[in-house]
Amino acid sequence: MKSERPFRCFTLHPKVVLLEWSTPPDAALLQQLIGFQKAILKEVDEVVQITQGYCSLMLYHKSEVHYIENYANRLYALFESLTAPIRTKQKIWEIPVCYEEELAPDLKSLAKQLKMSTAKLIHTHTSVSYQVYFIGFLPGFLYLSGLPSVLECDRKAKPIPKIERGSVAIGGKQTGIYPLDSPGGWHRIGKTPYPLFDPKKKKTCFAQAGDTIQFKSISKSDYFALETQRANGTLEILPL
Amino acid sequence: MIEVLHTGIHSSIQDLGRLGMQNLGVPIGGAMDQNAMQLANRLVNNPLQCAVLEMSFKGPKLRFHQPTTLALAGADMKARLNNEPINNLTAIRIKEKDIIQFGTAHQGKRCYLAVAGGFKTPKLLGSRSQYLGITPEATICKNKLIPIDTKKINFRKGAHIAAHPNACHKIQVYQGPEYHLLPKKAQEQLNEQSFTISVNNSRMAYVLEEKLTHQLPSIWTAPVLPGTVQCTPDGTLIILMRDAQTTGGYPRILQLSDAGINQLAQKSTQDRFQFELTEA
Repeated sequence: MKSERPFRCFTLHPKVVLLEWSTPPDAALLQQLIGFQKAILKEVDEVVQITQGYCSLMLYHKSEVHYIENYANRLYALFESLTAPIRTKQKIWEIPVCYEEELAPDLKSLAKQLKMSTAKLIHTHTSVSYQVYFIGFLPGFLYLSGLPSVLECDRKAKPIPKIERGSVAIGGKQTGIYPLDSPGGWHRIGKTPYPLFDPKKKKTCFAQAGDTIQFKSISKSDYFALETQRANGTLEILPL
Repeated sequence: MIEVLHTGIHSSIQDLGRLGMQNLGVPIGGAMDQNAMQLANRLVNNPLQCAVLEMSFKGPKLRFHQPTTLALAGADMKARLNNEPINNLTAIRIKEKDIIQFGTAHQGKRCYLAVAGGFKTPKLLGSRSQYLGITPEATICKNKLIPIDTKKINFRKGAHIAAHPNACHKIQVYQGPEYHLLPKKAQEQLNEQSFTISVNNSRMAYVLEEKLTHQLPSIWTAPVLPGTVQCTPDGTLIILMRDAQTTGGYPRILQLSDAGINQLAQKSTQDRFQFELTEA
């Protein structure tokens, strides 16, 4: 008899197991993934770290997993035992973004591609809230869901060699903030002065999976005032 | 302190990296060939995770500002101490003002220099491994001084390990999560064909020249590891290495073993190898 498993359990390295859900990502699955991670870290001593994707978890172990007795079934049972999603402290962050042309080199061309005014583009980008799915790609890069479909666009045909730290950009069905200078193929529509990733701080990245992000339009003078504070190390990010 | 007179092509401080911070998007990093790195540490009686200098393709020229003991492991870079040739895999005593100079790599691409007590650059996020964005620089810099430990070790005759060739043609791999979706022909290609490393290879990833014919669907962005072999829509194979990003959106068809990553780290542009599939 074939039993329906909630997820696939795949050993891809002697010390690493991948758990994969076949359903597309949504808010309910995200809450399950967050709750399940907490439960695994609490209940399974062998797990030293978990990383997350849209519909998957990667479990890193102290030693080789084939020594763990009946492991897959233990994980299935643990998942089934989770009832209502665990209410974790999920925060709302308001990110100030300057959308003025000087700090948004691709705003005009993207507005043209999307056949809307720059004002409409900015309004649409700031009028909704986004959910943090997970962190990956670069240190402190948040994978956000919730981009309004009217803002979906093709990525640049050729990536540019340097997208500056703090750039807020749109690419494909996603929007994001570059925490470090990086090559990239997304369209830069604004810039934030907020410190997004600081290896010298105890809390290196301000947000975590499940948090909500809102963008707020600020003027160029506000941007530079905040940027000065950031450079001095006096700019603190607090949730709403 | 060690003074950098010439940097070489790509020389960086590396330990075993930042395991445990990947949920923040921080790459694991660390020495590319951890087998050679740990051998070098062993020879100077260091804990295996001590930071070493990783030298790729062509090594640097360095002046010591303090006495120490060093050992080299990995590729043969024709090292010379005060212009006299010295051997890999042997502990060597160093005096103040000694100059060590490295040439082009033979029998491998990366050589590791360990000093007694290890390199003592600042730790960031639990590691000394250089990675731009976490550390201020990606490599060592000309004319800069690099701090090293002052530990003295006693030996009558330097420790020595017999060299063993690392020119393995077969790289051990496991099936990746999307391997089973590949057509049988592509699976055979992976098992039987030789692959060539393209010029596009770095601490982050090695891109291969040969392409795979496939119709794999794209996947939702998901976690990856050093050693994950990704397959792009046009069939290009990308082997992620130590500085790889933590998540990716391409199907993951193979996963290198730890030994496989160490072996591949000693190969570079135009080197050829075969995958050897085994069970994880």
